[in-house]
Amino acid sequence: MSEPLAVAPAFSLSGVRQSYRPGAESLCGVTLDISAGEHVAIVGANGSGKSTLLKALDGLVFCSAGSIQAFGKPLTEDSLEESEFRREFRSRVGFVFQDADVQLFCSNVADELAFGPLQLDLPEVEVRERIDEVSRGLRLEKLLDRAPYTLSGGEKKRVAIGAVLTMRPDVLLMDEPTNALDPRSQVWLLDVLAEIKREGRTVVIATHDLSAAEESCDRMVVLSEDHEVVADGTPAEVLAQRDVLLRVNLIHEHSHRHDSTTHRHPHAHGHVHPDE
Amino acid sequence: MARRTAAAINGALAELLENEDLARTSGLLQGLDPRTRLGTIALLAVTVSFLHSLPAIVLVIAATMVLAAASGVSVVSFSLRVWTTAGFLAVLLAAPAATGWISPGRELLGHGALSVTSPGLLIATRLMLRVVAGAGIGLLVVWTTRWTDLLGALTALRVPDVIVATLAMTQQQIVSLMRTVENIHLARESRMLSLGTAAENRGWVVGRMAFVATKSFKTADDVYDAMLARGFSGDWPTLRRLRMTARDGVWALGLVAFCAMTLGVDRLVAR
Repeated sequence: MSEPLAVAPAFSLSGVRQSYRPGAESLCGVTLDISAGEHVAIVGANGSGKSTLLKALDGLVFCSAGSIQAFGKPLTEDSLEESEFRREFRSRVGFVFQDADVQLFCSNVADELAFGPLQLDLPEVEVRERIDEVSRGLRLEKLLDRAPYTLSGGEKKRVAIGAVLTMRPDVLLMDEPTNALDPRSQVWLLDVLAEIKREGRTVVIATHDLSAAEESCDRMVVLSEDHEVVADGTPAEVLAQRDVLLRVNLIHEHSHRHDSTTHRHPHAHGHVHPDE
Repeated sequence: MARRTAAAINGALAELLENEDLARTSGLLQGLDPRTRLGTIALLAVTVSFLHSLPAIVLVIAATMVLAAASGVSVVSFSLRVWTTAGFLAVLLAAPAATGWISPGRELLGHGALSVTSPGLLIATRLMLRVVAGAGIGLLVVWTTRWTDLLGALTALRVPDVIVATLAMTQQQIVSLMRTVENIHLARESRMLSLGTAAENRGWVVGRMAFVATKSFKTADDVYDAMLARGFSGDWPTLRRLRMTARDGVWALGLVAFCAMTLGVDRLVAR
């Protein structure tokens, strides 16, 4: 039997490189520690490697160089072959995919919520308790009998999150969680993240939505378009580095004309100009 | 063409929903344990493959219609679906066997290699009816069983993990790809200034088929990753407790008796 997994740090990455094909790296020497209970936002422009990094943290892609430790044990293809480690790792780390459509593969929402706990061989009574709890918390009670592909984008996202929360993971990985959500659903999601934070669970989100990252996380890691970590700190510290954010294409400069003068200033994606 | 394709895809998606609703209604087959349903229906399909006489095969086809009606399935839509898809394909496949070229014998229509012969017609009809009977049996299982129950039953019946995993991904893949194809057609429609010639439309469809095929590989990877991320290990446990009752026993005995009787009829007619 393998020894129990340590409590902290949740993840430790050292010089991680990953490429889907030769000559096209999606992560270049990423070194990073994520402690238990931290809420970390991985921010970067499209194609910077955020999703790949999350997949690497979830053991879905493996680094071509460097190493990843999860709960003090190496996270490799071989270690995930060990059933004891795989079971414990999967029960402790949940992943909400960017595209909820690929994550929802059961015939109805109730089955979707039950899938993870059943894979963990939990007793039926506990699985039902978890479904009740999560469906109440995420307002899914009326959707339990519905087929996932009949749901709206926001509903699918709620089910995708619920399907992971029923596994009660210690670490929640979320890829572009606010993507395709209407404003009300975005606020709801931020509330869910705040609740998860109160419970002391670790959350890692990949996003290019700086305002959502600032609101929900206590640490920001910036990936450049060259797939390297170029900034790491509290949201206030990172957001103060305007030149870095401009360089990595997370904010852009707008030209505005007021009467006869033109001035330029940076905007985060999704920013609403105060004059509007 | 784009509008027609998008409408057809919408229709197919709506049908998927109707099937799921149908599987939840109370009916003869829906009331059985999924393992019993799958096992006994598979036995019926195997029996069909041993039948030679047309009356015996027709008996099985009639039985599938009775089962459909007893399970709340519209016999008309069931028959239409079976005959317009499987029946049509079976006719195409069996047609050469009806000719003197493949099955020489007494000529009923025409002359020479392309004539329809008496033994050829018998062989082709038998082949077609077998396909129709088999397709009807398969359709009954799919229409009256919830997808997760079907996967749960396959797991319980010790079907290899790789087959269960592949099937698990199939439905989601199909829905996802249908949505993609629908959007592709609508996107093209929105940018088309003219209807285009038939040749242009055909060329475009072929090009998009290649695109969809490539995309399907990517989607398959994504869906499988999502399954792995939630601890998928090959088994497909289900919350609905699979429990066999006396009803399952009676049904199984009845179906075994029916299969034996059909085989008996087959032998009698063959004499």
